[in-house]
Amino acid sequence: MALLQIAEPGQSPQPHQRRLAVGIDLGTTNSLVAALRSGLSEPIADAAGQVILPSAVRYHADHVEVGEAARLAASADPLNTVLSVKRLMGRGLADVKQLGEQLPYRFVDGESHMPFIDTVQGPKSPVEVSADILKVLRLRAEAALGGELVGAVITVPAYFDDSQRQATKDAARLAGLNVLRLLNEPTAAAVAYGLDQHAEGVVAIYDLGGGTFDISILRLTGGVFEVMATGGDSALGGDDFDHAIAGWIIEQAGLSADLDPGEQRSLLQAACVAKETLTSCATAQLSHGAWQGQLSREQFEALIEPMLARSLKACRRAVRDAGIELEEVQAVVMVGGSTRVPRVRQVVAEMFAREPLTDIDPDQVVAIGAAIQADALAGNKRADGDELLLLDVIPLSLGLETMGGLMEKVIPRNTTIPVARAQDFTTYKDGQTAMMIHVLQGERELISDCRSLARFELRGIPPMVAGAAKIRVTFQVDADGLLGVAARELASGVEASIQVKPSYGLTDGEIARMLQDSFKNAGDDKVARVLRELQVDAQRLIEAVEAALQADGERLLDADERLAIDAQMQQLRELMVGNDGLAIEQQTKRLTQLTDAFAARRLDATVKAALAGRSLNEIEE
Amino acid sequence: MGSPCHFALFDLQPSFRLDLEQLAVRYRDLARTVHPDRFADAPDREQRLALEHSASLNEAYSTLKSAPKRARYLLALSGPELPLEVTVQDPDFLLQQMHWREELEDLQDSADLAGVATFKCRLKIAQDELHESFAVCWDDSLRRAEAERLMRRMQFLDKLSHEVRQLEERLDD
Repeated sequence: MALLQIAEPGQSPQPHQRRLAVGIDLGTTNSLVAALRSGLSEPIADAAGQVILPSAVRYHADHVEVGEAARLAASADPLNTVLSVKRLMGRGLADVKQLGEQLPYRFVDGESHMPFIDTVQGPKSPVEVSADILKVLRLRAEAALGGELVGAVITVPAYFDDSQRQATKDAARLAGLNVLRLLNEPTAAAVAYGLDQHAEGVVAIYDLGGGTFDISILRLTGGVFEVMATGGDSALGGDDFDHAIAGWIIEQAGLSADLDPGEQRSLLQAACVAKETLTSCATAQLSHGAWQGQLSREQFEALIEPMLARSLKACRRAVRDAGIELEEVQAVVMVGGSTRVPRVRQVVAEMFAREPLTDIDPDQVVAIGAAIQADALAGNKRADGDELLLLDVIPLSLGLETMGGLMEKVIPRNTTIPVARAQDFTTYKDGQTAMMIHVLQGERELISDCRSLARFELRGIPPMVAGAAKIRVTFQVDADGLLGVAARELASGVEASIQVKPSYGLTDGEIARMLQDSFKNAGDDKVARVLRELQVDAQRLIEAVEAALQADGERLLDADERLAIDAQMQQLRELMVGNDGLAIEQQTKRLTQLTDAFAARRLDATVKAALAGRSLNEIEE
Repeated sequence: MGSPCHFALFDLQPSFRLDLEQLAVRYRDLARTVHPDRFADAPDREQRLALEHSASLNEAYSTLKSAPKRARYLLALSGPELPLEVTVQDPDFLLQQMHWREELEDLQDSADLAGVATFKCRLKIAQDELHESFAVCWDDSLRRAEAERLMRRMQFLDKLSHEVRQLEERLDD
């Protein structure tokens, strides 16, 4: 029998092993995964050497096909092939139709307001489709890196609202990924550039992807990336260029706009090819059915001019929001495949009066930056000792519905996250005992112009005369940009709390069912998986407490506290090797409670140490 | 809530005069130690603590770095709670407010972008003067009523600069 290897307490078995973590750019048109290897962040290729995975998913009766093959089948099998699913994430069907797109799918209703796409495999939510893309990338990374991933940083457009972010996080969960952070795409690009060029000062990131546009203004100071303002349009991208060309063809060829799904797809593909041709050629030949024609670069530029104008307007607004003037921007970085269009580069250069940077491949830069951040978040120290810090903001104001259908802002856009802010409200009728809280996101005054995130009810308010009750609603936005809301009546202490499950998100029931389905498909034993998760949680807690004890145990704990913690750790260690899930869960919880005060003391001590690190003569002027 | 004073969080004495560069440096140092990114792979409890600490740090920083918010916070620290909106007995300033507003409306009607830029410069100068007056006044504990009046003026000019930004946005259409 082989002897079991047991590491010395307080040390991990392989102290120098890097913890594997990846950055994933889940794009509208293309997706990719990157990781830090030998100190260098680079995309991971598949077995055929391809780095880019087209974000296309085709459902067959018995299997799922993701990538180039699926993309090519789009016109032949339009109903079972999903392209640009990112545009559907966290949106209702009405929103999607409002985007003015003709989508070649059959939609069916789900429990929530999310549009489900009817395929040969049954109805698929956009979250599941995205999860299928993420799964392929996870497997690719695990094969290349040779181990299970600690977690992933998934990038999202900075302008994504709460529903869209939540949907992305749900998709990652469904794909079996531990999300270390949702990171804004322009911020990820800034990390890639900033570290590469040791940049300092104010930088603008112009990110025009397949389906979304973001502009972020950042200040870079010694490894700190501070987002000053962000703006954009979560429904503007290269896809719209294709649609504009397709519309032009329909007009030129005198077609009816009511095309069947297959025809629509082949028309859009032809449009996309023409767009790419015009990057290097002055004209592009087009044909559709019997019709043949020619599109010049000038004509194309005229077609996309209104969209470019929209993007430039968003840039000016972001600069104003940052409280600076255009001239103060010291560098402009181009991100996203659509910035290959020469006219895009031209208009951006004109506005900022400087040549934009394009050194890092605009399709890869986001994933490269995300991988750098993922590596740091997984607890690996950077080789050069520079610790990164990303301070991001919320892109859209958050607020509540008040009397008369108006929105009362509680957190204005471009506030640094994490943030927690409270607002007090009162009753408007005598004896009122319940209150509906409607959470909104957007910049307009009328609630009908804002996005509804969620509604929840606060019940049990003690009956009082109108205006006497005082209800405090607290908004909290975490580092992923996700919102949590809590409400409490101050006199009675009645509390209602929700994690905002967006109006357009999946219900908890739907997610649970999808998770179960994915276990079934993977041939996983659900019980074994749950046990494994509990063991991992317990292990993680023990490691954290061990490290904390080693660093500060002497200083911050008295003998009794120390004894109690040591005993509890020993008990959990013994349980962990067994398979009594319930006991592991309970004892993990107990260890957490037992070390709560210690954890709080440590954080306070760190804060004090950070202040003490500054020399005293700086303190007073 | 028993949250510590915003100034104490930065290890500073309550004061209106503040070196914003230094405040920013200290903010970044503190943010590095408590930001949830430092605890992304830690147990839930550490993540929650980091979230709370970071949120109060950000709140403190956004209050202290803005002059009108800082002034208001100082007054609140040293006296009774101040209502956000009150009718201010300040006839001189009322007249000046009306002038500012009329001017802004004219600029909107004439869509005069150069005029807006000049207006912004003048507004900035007025704000700087007001900050200096408040600072002097704040040093004298007997002039609290006057300090409060100056703080209200600062709030108005702050609101006005927001309106200028909104006007710029409308003119950009």
